Formats: sequence, structure tokens, C-alpha cells
Amino acid sequence: MLLDFAVTTASGTALPWLSISILFPIAAALAIPFIPDAGDGKTIRWYALGVALITFLVTVAAYLDGYDPSVEGLQLIERVEWLPDLGLAWSVGADGLSMPLILLTSFITALAVLAAWPVTFKPRLFFFLILAMDGGQIAVFAVQDMLLFFLAWELELLPVYLLLAIWGAKKRQYAATKFILYTAGGSVFILLAALAMGFQGGGAPSFEYTVLAAKNFGSGFQLLAYAGLLIAFGVKLPIVPLHTWLPDAHGEATAPVHMLLAGILLKMGGYALLRFNVQLLPEAHAQLAPLLVVLGVVNIIYAALTSFAQRNLKRKIAYSSISHMGFVLIGIGSFSALGTSGAMLQMVSHGLIGASLFFLVGATYDRTHTLQLDEMGGVGQKMRKMFALWTICSLASLALPGMSGFVSELMVFVGFATSEAYTLSFRIVMSVLAAIGVILTPIYLLSMLREIFFGKENPDLAGHTHLVDAEPREIYIISCLLVPIVGIGLYPRLVTDSYRASIEALVAREDLAFNKVIGPTPTGLIRKGLGATALLPPAMLRAPALA
Amino acid sequence: MSSAAELAWLIPVLPLAGAALVGLGLISFNRTINRLRKPVALLLISLVGASAVISFVILGQQLAGAPATEVLFNWASTGDFNLQMGYRVDALGAVMLALVTTIALLVMVYSDGYMAHDKSYVRFFTYLALFSSSMLGLVLSPNLLEIYVFWELVGMCSYLLVGFWYDREGAANAAQKAFIVNRVGDFGLLLGILGLFWATGSFGFEEIGARLGEGLASGTITHAAAVILCLLVFMGPMAKSAQFPLHVWLPDAMEGPTPISALIHAATMVAAGVFLVARLQPIYLQFPDVQTVIAVVGTITCFLGATIALTQQDLKKGLAYSTVSQLGYMVLAMGCGAPIAGMFHLVTHAFFKAMLFLGSGSVIHAMEEVVGHEPVLAQDMRLMGGLRKHMPITAITFLIGCVAISGIPPLAGFWSKDEILGVAFASFPLLWVVGFLTAGMTAFYMFRLYFLTFEGTFRGNDYAMRQQLLAAAGKGGVSMEGDEDHGHHASHPHESGWQMASPLVVLAVPSVLIGLLGTPWNSRFAALLDPREAAEAAEHFSWGEFLPLAGASVAISLTGITVAVLAYALHRLDLATLVAARFPAVNAFLAHKWYLDDLNERLFVRGTRKLARQVLEVDAKVVDGVVNLTGLLTLGSGEGLKYFETGRAQFYALIVFGGVIALVVLFSAFG
Repeated sequence: MLLDFAVTTASGTALPWLSISILFPIAAALAIPFIPDAGDGKTIRWYALGVALITFLVTVAAYLDGYDPSVEGLQLIERVEWLPDLGLAWSVGADGLSMPLILLTSFITALAVLAAWPVTFKPRLFFFLILAMDGGQIAVFAVQDMLLFFLAWELELLPVYLLLAIWGAKKRQYAATKFILYTAGGSVFILLAALAMGFQGGGAPSFEYTVLAAKNFGSGFQLLAYAGLLIAFGVKLPIVPLHTWLPDAHGEATAPVHMLLAGILLKMGGYALLRFNVQLLPEAHAQLAPLLVVLGVVNIIYAALTSFAQRNLKRKIAYSSISHMGFVLIGIGSFSALGTSGAMLQMVSHGLIGASLFFLVGATYDRTHTLQLDEMGGVGQKMRKMFALWTICSLASLALPGMSGFVSELMVFVGFATSEAYTLSFRIVMSVLAAIGVILTPIYLLSMLREIFFGKENPDLAGHTHLVDAEPREIYIISCLLVPIVGIGLYPRLVTDSYRASIEALVAREDLAFNKVIGPTPTGLIRKGLGATALLPPAMLRAPALA
Repeated sequence: MSSAAELAWLIPVLPLAGAALVGLGLISFNRTINRLRKPVALLLISLVGASAVISFVILGQQLAGAPATEVLFNWASTGDFNLQMGYRVDALGAVMLALVTTIALLVMVYSDGYMAHDKSYVRFFTYLALFSSSMLGLVLSPNLLEIYVFWELVGMCSYLLVGFWYDREGAANAAQKAFIVNRVGDFGLLLGILGLFWATGSFGFEEIGARLGEGLASGTITHAAAVILCLLVFMGPMAKSAQFPLHVWLPDAMEGPTPISALIHAATMVAAGVFLVARLQPIYLQFPDVQTVIAVVGTITCFLGATIALTQQDLKKGLAYSTVSQLGYMVLAMGCGAPIAGMFHLVTHAFFKAMLFLGSGSVIHAMEEVVGHEPVLAQDMRLMGGLRKHMPITAITFLIGCVAISGIPPLAGFWSKDEILGVAFASFPLLWVVGFLTAGMTAFYMFRLYFLTFEGTFRGNDYAMRQQLLAAAGKGGVSMEGDEDHGHHASHPHESGWQMASPLVVLAVPSVLIGLLGTPWNSRFAALLDPREAAEAAEHFSWGEFLPLAGASVAISLTGITVAVLAYALHRLDLATLVAARFPAVNAFLAHKWYLDDLNERLFVRGTRKLARQVLEVDAKVVDGVVNLTGLLTLGSGEGLKYFETGRAQFYALIVFGGVIALVVLFSAFG
């Protein structure tokens, strides 16, 4: 087995950027109780915004200073021995899978702090939790040790739980409990898999990704670990039918927490699937990938239909998130560089679009005081800017060209449709079903816009609420999100080039495992061999380039 | 300047830059920008004007025989895989560029008058510029993928513009319907593009055609698969160019402001489908069965549109169904393997239909002075009549349009429609019969529109009729009280101002003359698009073949016009008793638009809603039910999840966290 982590040194960087980006927000959060504040949270929120911005700048500095997009292996490595007996070390680093998501995390968190401006209930605790989450989430993406990963994964549960349970809406206790039971239940599998993988093969245990990747797990073991991890990460992503915590959690959360849930938390699932299931257990992945594709298609259609029927705005958008995550699953299971790259891009893209939509839901709720679509209508008369922002973000979400969602979904589609790992009939059926999502998405999103904004003003609503238009802060937040959304849409290589090398290496590893496990001969309805030229689609017989 | 083609990228970018600038301004400094009406309009009009200048220079160079130019760059790439974007300038594109910029420019000038009293004047112009930009981008696209990008963008602009008056329920529904029906077509288009890419490794038009041919010859792709892919791609044009059965969105889209109906839903965007089929000719020509399907779909559409147009009372809806019908002719031409004939009809139709729509806008604008801003009243021909006396320019240009579309020589429509009927006669005689009959119906319904609107006596002050119309639309009474309150409505309509009248006059010129560029014995148009074929056609031209067919076309058009004159001008024929009363089933069938909207509503709209509700029920009761049940069972407590709500859940995460630490210590002790 190839050891495909090319070890680089951290000597090129001026500072241990990644460790700073993890520890600084947490340390700064711990200082919050000592900040003088009149009790209205005005000082605290400026402080939190400053910390979040500095963290963002630190991650940007890490990218600019120590990250070379053309290198496929791990970079920005920082390693300190922690518990040598256990082989546990503080080991962080970033490759193409981590770096975009680290930047996304610090970016969305900074905006979430700005979105949390109106929070006046227990502001100290609120901003403390948000900042702690910032560090925890960067850690999830940056750590290079499976036990550390597990700790970071668990650590991030607590703030979310509290943010839901304290600042949520009416059913907050139920939603928070459901969230923690679900996720914690799933993470038991991570722990089991981590321990099993760490101790497998005897010798001194080690949980470092590099060491695990070099191990030669048996195929039965791989399948078992893969299944366990799939459940754990499937809860997070979420994969239908493990998704029911999400509408409840999203339905109860406040806008900033929403942005974090949709923008970052869901991506942890996709990232972890790529990192562990694909990278560390490639042979099991070669066998079980069709399952991912099928689950992805189920996600897309099932959640889109559910979203259409939802009458509650927050839950509607929550289900739309689930639907969009289906493309990530198809991309991960596509066995093609283009498809996997599309899955990555879909995570970044949905992080931005999902965050913007959830922020708008919150901003609208602040004015209408209702989330029921039946109680809205004609809101566009008074809130014209809000209407414009909603329209732009909804169009982004329904994958309008010129915005990021289109590129990522297209990459997944093209990648999967031209994948050599599946038979033609399987690809046709799955592509056609996934493309039904192309019809369903505008149905629920445009119906939603129509019910909120179009038509005559709803007299009940207009009479009892003060519908003021979007304020500059809100426009600013959405603009910040729209810049990368449109930027990626116009020129996707802005982002894809930053992880291209890593994804190509990952897919090469997948292909090796595929040839080992499935073999070069076709085996049944779904799979067909790689490298058997006679079976290649005609396109692959020529150089696949345009015009 | 060596070649204007090098500057072609500016053509879509200029209006886009203007739209982006004004759009940002609208979001950031709403009030200020909204007050800057004329400067904004002037800026956007001059940007589109600049695009028009470049387009005409390019067209001139193409006429002088400049070669096709293509410029590409890598847009997205992974592995050895490159998706390229760029632009392509050739004769077909140059014709479309000139057409789109001309009509866009005229419509913008017209809109200055039409939208003068609208509070969203600036937003309207921004959308117009955005649309022009997307449409021009579509025309310049060098490959299927980029076409798809702009295809969606024009669809979005159409959505925004149809729903422009978003306080109207009808506009909201129509905008949504337009977008979703188009997405159904895009579903096929996307799958078709993916499939063709799988089969040929290319998104380029000629390349796909060539490689598909090779693949068929070498047996790497079966004939059936190729046919399916071609038909899937054709679903895109079917939706965008309103072909049966995906035409249902176009008549509803008339809820948008009338300049939009002229620009998007008559001249440019709906023609994009036909344009795409023309671009795809290298592929389609290899499959006669696909060509047959295209021709049949075109013919059905052409017949359907004309029959429904016969009974419409709404002026704009009548024109909309006429557009559907004419688009059917263009698609029929494509199916007959005569893209030049189809494109020629596209060009002539764009001019006279844009003029007709703008004319109807002028009428509606004038009617609003009398009956108020209520589309149910302002667009209904039962309240019009006699408008020629009040608005002569509009009436004359409208009449020119009617003659042009009816196919009376030497006006534009005659040459292009006759060419299509000619090729249909040669390839599908049966379809020619239908197309031929439709030509008669076209002449009839167009002159019916003209007479009902412009001749006779003015019926706008018939209050009983107004009430009746409002009641039929379910808006009984509301607007009448408003009328009495305001009381400042004029008693008769007035001719529109110069901004609205001048585009009508300008458009009348090509409506009369442009057909002469495409005479069958010396077609300059064909010479531009395909010099070899044009020379061949000119050589084989014989009056003996041309005259009988052309004579028949003119004869049936004249018949149609005569019937219209007898029925609506001279009142010698009472069609209501002669036809409608005798064949009530036919009449109802046509009045209900072939029952396609009802079918759509019952089957798809309600079907999807029901399915979605059921899925949601399953989600809430079954999937979530299992979860809650599991929660209950594992906790082993009668109180279930409530037990945790008492505060212990907070400890749960701590327990897990502590457990990990304990395990770590444990293992380190024994390891």
C-alpha cells in the first residue's frame, strides 16, 4: 500500500498558524467572563467580532503563508508529543480536504457573530460558546490524529447543545436533546472505530492518519469500520433516514446558530466521510460506494419532496439542506476526480448558500414573528430589499448558473455520469433520478418565495407587525456571502485549484483499491471494472477535452 | 481594428456591467437610485446601444466573408478534464446578435414610455439589461455547456420579469409556472448534454456531430441510445420555444409587462430554442427519426397555437398563442432539415411579432386611461374597438404586422413562411397540409384581432360588460368602486407618446422589407449562413415549382382574411351562431385551450403536492416516530424523552467526554 501522505515540514511558515487558529478563539472565549460589560452585551459582541475576525485572518494567513495548492500531501504540519505511551500527539496539519473547510469555518463564524448582533439574552455565555465552537470546528478539520478528531468532534457538541437548549424556540429542550442523543450516539461508532483501527495490527497504538493510512486492514475489518463510521457521519451530514434531528434542531435554533449548523456542522460529516471512509478504508469504500450514491439520490428526492410539503419556513430550508447534501454523497461515491471535486465544492458552496438562507430566515422572523407560510404573504410590498436578497439566495440555492451551486452540482453530475466504475444502466438510472432534483428544487423554493413575498399584502400580518426593510448590517452579511458564491460560480478554479492535487491523489488511491477489490472484470448490474478498455465509454478512448 | 469579433465578448459584458452597477445601487442606495430614472435608463440604453454597434460591425464583417472565430479558456479542470468557456462568432451568431440588440434597444426606448408611471422603473430597466446580457451570451456560446448556463440565466430573467408586478397573484403564479415548466425541459437538456458528453467526450456542436457519427459507424454507441440523447436535448428547446406539450407557460407569461412580452416572449428568448436546434443541426441531421419527431412536434404546436388563438378574447393572449403557432413553424422547418428557412422565419417573425406586441402594449396603455390599471379590463377586446381613430400610428403598424404574419407578399412573413411550407411539402406532405391550413387560420385570427381592436365603435365605456368581465375573473365590484372614487379616467384612449410610437414605426420597416433578403431565387440570407447551399438553391429554383405553392399559400391567407372581414368588419357572418353554437364541443375544447392547463393542474401540480404531503407524513410519523420510540425504549422510562428534558441531558455529553478520557487512561495503563 502506498503511503500517500508526503510529509512536509513546517519550516516554511513563520508561526504555527493552525494551532493558533484553534487555540486563540478558545483562549479568547475563556477571557469573556473578565470583560467589563454593562450587561447589555455591547462590549462583548465587539470583542467576539474582533476575535472571530482575527481567527479568520489567521486561517487566511495559514493559507497564504504555508499552504501550496499544488502539493497533494499534508502541509502546515505542527506536531507536539502529548501522551507518548498512547502514541497521542497534538498533531495538526492541512491538505486539500481540510484547507477549504477551515477557511469556510472561520469565515462563516465571523459572519455568524455579526448576525448575532441582536442577541441580548445572556450575551456572555452566547459569545463564549460561539467562539469555543469556532476553535473546536477548526480543530475537527485540522487535527491529524483520530483520537484528537474524536475529542474535537465531541467538544463541538456541547456548545451546540447549549446554544439550542438556551436560545432556542419553544421546543428547544426536545430539539437539543434529540440533537445530542443522535450525534453522541453516532460518535460512539467513531470511538470504537478509532480504537479498533489504532490497535489493529499490534505494536504501539497510534491514531495518526499517516500511520492508519499505511496500515493494511483486512477487508472484513474495513467493512465493519466503514459501516460504523458511515452511521456516525451519516447522522451529521445527514443521510436519510438518520436526518430527523436536523429539522428539529434547525427549527428551534436562532439565526446565528443556524448559520453555523448549516454552514459548518453538516460539512463535518462530508469531510469525515472523505477523510476516514474514503482515505483510510478505500477497499471498503470500493465495495460500498454504490450505497453512497443510492443514499445520495434518496436524500435529494426525499428531502426535496418533504421540503415542498413543509409549511414552516425554517424546516423547509432545513430539508432543502438535506436535499443538497445528497450531491455530496453522489460525488464521494463517484470514483472520479471531477465528481469528488464537485462534492468538495458542493460542501463549500452549500456552506455559503445555506448560511445565507438561514440568516435570511432569521431576519424575516424578526419582523414577521411567524414562520408559518400561511400567515405570510405580500411581504414584498414593504420589504423590497429583503425580497431581493431572498430571491438572489434562493436562485443560488436552486443552482442557477453564475453561482457556486450550479458548478458543484454540474461537476457531480458530469463526474458521476462519466465515471468508469459503474455500469451504464446504473449511471443512467441514478443520473435521471438525481436530475429530478433539478425540477423539484425550484418547485419548493419558488413556491416559498411566492407565498412569502408575492401577492397582496396579508392584512393580518401587516396590521400586527412592523415590517421594516433590510438594514445595512443584514445587507452586508449577505453581500459577504454572495461575493464567494458568485466568485466561485464565475470562476470555480478559485476554489477547486486549492484542493485539486489532494483530490486527485485520493481518487488514485480509490482506483487502486477498486482494482484490488472489484477487479478489472465486470461483476453484475452496478459495478464494472476500471481499465478494461473495451468497456470504457467511447469518450474515454479519446483525450477528453473540449473543442 | 483587424476584426470586431475580437471584441465580441464586450457585447454581453457591457449590459451586464450596467445591470450589476444599477442593481448594486438599488440594494445599497435604494431611494437615490430610484430617483435617477432618466440617467439610469440613458446609461443602460447606451450600453445596449454600444453592444448593438459592435454586433452590427460583426454582422457586416460576416457579410463580407470574415471567418468564424472562437476564443476559449479553461473554466474548470480536474485531472485531465477541462471544461472550457469562451465565445464564438459566426454567421448564425452574428444574425442573432444584430437581431437581439436591435429589438432590445427598441424595447428599452419603448419602455421609457410604457413604464413611465411605474414606481419600479429603474428595477425594470435593470432586468432588461440583465436579460439582454444573458441572451447575447447565449448567442455567443461556443458549446452546449455554456448554452446551458445562459439558457438558465435567460430563464431566470424571464422569471423576474414575468413576476415583475409581484403584488398581482396572476403574475406570481405565471412566473413560477414559467420557470418550472422550463426546468422540466432543462431536465432533459441537462441529461442529454451529459449523455452526449459521455458518448463523445465533447460539448462542441460540430465535434459531437462528427464523433457521434464515428461512434455509430464503429458500433461503440447504439443507434437507439443516440436517438434518445438527441430527443432529451430537444426537450430543452421544447420548453423554451413553447412546443407542445411544454407550451403551457408562454400564454400565462403575458402577465408580465408588455415590453417584456415583445422582447422575451416573442422575439428573443422563445427563439433561443429554435436557435439551439439550428446549432445542433450537425447532430440532428444524422437521425431522420429525430428529425421526424421534431417536425411532428412543430406541426402539432403550430396547429394547436392557431386553433386556440381563434377564440381568445384577451389581446395579448391572442398574440401569445400566435407566437406559439409561429414557433411551431420554425421548429417544423428544423425538422425538415432546413435550418436556414427556420432561422429566416425566426428573424422576420421577431420583427413583426415584436411590433405587434409593442402595438398591443400601446393599446393597453391607452385603454388603462379609460378602464384603469386592471389587466382583466385593459386587455380584453370586448372593451376595445374603434381605436384606429384615436391612435392611428398604432393601428397602421398593427395592420402592417397582421398582413406580414398572414403571409401576403411582398411583406416579410410571406417569404419566410412560404419557404418553410415549401420544404415541408418536399419532406412531409402530410405535415404540409396541416401547416397550410394553419396559415389560413393565422390570417383569420390576426385580422380578427385587428378588427375587434381597431375598427367598429369604441366599447370601453360599456359598464355592464366591465362588470361581467370582472365577475368572470373573480374580481367583481372591487375595481368599479375605485373607478367612481377616482373618476378621472378619460372617456376615450389617446395615441401613445413618441417613445412608444417611434419603435413601432422603426419596426414596421423591416416587417415590410426584410423578406426581400430571402427571396427563393436570390436569398442573401441563405448566402450569409451557407453560401454553398444558397447557390445550389438559386440554381435549382424554378418558377414552375414556386408559383403553385406560393399561390396556394396566398390564396388560403386571403380566404382567412376574407372570413375575418365578413365576420368582424362587415358583420355579414355571425360565427357565434354559425360555428360556435353548432359545434359546442369544439368551441369549448378551444376555449379551454385543449384542456391542457386543467390536465397539468390535476395531474402534475396537485399530484406533486399530494406526493410531497405523503412523504412528509411518512417522515414525521414513521421515520421520526421510530426515533422517538427508540428514545423511549432505550431510556426505559415511562416519561421517555421528557426525562431528559428535566436537565440531565446536559450531563450526557460530559459523560461521553469523560468516558473517552477514561478509556484513554485505561488503555495507556494497560497498553
